[in-house]
Amino acid sequence: MITFWRILKTGFRNLFRNAWLSAAATAIMIITLIIMTFFAFSAVFVQTKLAEVKSKVDLTLFLKDSSTEAQIKKLQGLILSDPGVKSVEYVSKADALKRFQSSDSNKEIVKSINDTDIGNPFPASFDIKVNDINKIAEVNDRIKKLDEDKIVDESSLDKKNQERGDVVGNIVKISNGVARVGAVLSVVFLVIALLIIFNTIRMAIFTRREEIEIMKLVGATKWFIRGPFIIEGSLYGVLGATLCLILLVPLTKAVGPFLVDKLGAGSVLVSFENHFLWLVLGVYGLGILIGSISSWLAIARHLKV
Amino acid sequence: MYPNKTVALSGVSLHIAPKEFVTIVGSSGAGKSTLIRLLIKEELPTSGKIIVGSIDYDTIDKANIPHLRRRIGVVFQDFKLLPNLTVYENVAFALEVSGVKTSEIKRAVPKILQLVGLSEKGNVYPSEISGGEKQRVAIARALVRNPKILIADEPTGNLDPKNSWDIIELLLKINKFGTTVLLTTHNKEIVNALKKRVITINRGRVVKDEKVGRYVL
Repeated sequence: MITFWRILKTGFRNLFRNAWLSAAATAIMIITLIIMTFFAFSAVFVQTKLAEVKSKVDLTLFLKDSSTEAQIKKLQGLILSDPGVKSVEYVSKADALKRFQSSDSNKEIVKSINDTDIGNPFPASFDIKVNDINKIAEVNDRIKKLDEDKIVDESSLDKKNQERGDVVGNIVKISNGVARVGAVLSVVFLVIALLIIFNTIRMAIFTRREEIEIMKLVGATKWFIRGPFIIEGSLYGVLGATLCLILLVPLTKAVGPFLVDKLGAGSVLVSFENHFLWLVLGVYGLGILIGSISSWLAIARHLKV
Repeated sequence: MYPNKTVALSGVSLHIAPKEFVTIVGSSGAGKSTLIRLLIKEELPTSGKIIVGSIDYDTIDKANIPHLRRRIGVVFQDFKLLPNLTVYENVAFALEVSGVKTSEIKRAVPKILQLVGLSEKGNVYPSEISGGEKQRVAIARALVRNPKILIADEPTGNLDPKNSWDIIELLLKINKFGTTVLLTTHNKEIVNALKKRVITINRGRVVKDEKVGRYVL
């Protein structure tokens, strides 16, 4: 116990007495943590955006005008029981017309329709959301088999609607690609940041290898030598995390409006604000983890008897 | 034997009695330092046995090496003080690593600093004191744990004659208190004036071992 307190005390003392070295290591730590936070932010942003895009993609089945209410109810139940389907919304002819009329971009057309009075040309439909967008075509095929009364006139994925089908396919491809590239980039930057901080701490310890040698000769155990260095490394993490957050909070406040305006990042920013405590804990945890593990690894070489 | 097949020491057989004051002389590269490195187990012998007190170096396990080193006080030519610690902290460090209670440290360190004549310099850093004073700090650090053996590896190598004598007198005083002192040097005047046991090493072999020796090479 007394040894533990001494190790802790020595760690703090070393931090202050090697002020320049500590400052350099802390600076690198800040940069590392900012890079990591930035990537975490980007990853969440990309994920949220992709989820938004994907949720907009759905399968629409247009129903024949001749289909009865019973037939529609029956098919809706069957579709809902398909394991790949998340939700089914029935849009009646009247609903479809209302939707069309309420859309701003259709105002001109709506006016002209009202003038000519051609009735309601819109078919009733099912708006289906699927669990996995990659399997939307399979779901489409299965539903066709379920449709015993043949009330489905056409599907948004049918050959006739080739263009829309392609768009869906492209969105799937692009979003998968973006997610993959993002993951690879994050890992690459994480590794680079870790190497930089590890090397900084390694060099800091290397300049003090003679001290380590002396401690060994005086009869210090491995833990008595290693302990203070690990404490010191963790303190770089604590200091780095504190300064990183001090820099990040006003920065986010400053560029936040721009992000919301240009990139539609509002939901991401809100989710960050809601999880601010987690962000703080994460940055501190990461800093302490990187600092202590780097110190541990860097000192191992010098501790061989 | 070193990996490059240089033989540093061979056929060395010595017995040093408790409370003895022994001087080991020899020119640079004769093997004096290797002998000392063997004694603090920084180096392992290719063959042969080392026994200090009741400890057989062959059977001691790695984890106990720090404990062994705590029992033998060593003073080096280049002092080996920790630059970031004050004089007081350097001496206290030797006790801290041994797990000595803080109250005990506060009692022992000022006493030992007084013995080596550095009571006034407890709060200064090693870079602010002279070579002679640094060596006295090193001796204080070696002594504070009450070792049975004090090994001084060329402690006067970096010092002027006046300071050298101060250090030697300090070692004699320590020896009088009952600590075995093992001194290596190539300072002729000191060896001749000591009139103590002298072991002469040349090219890795003990060439002379006299009860009251002189410096002859």
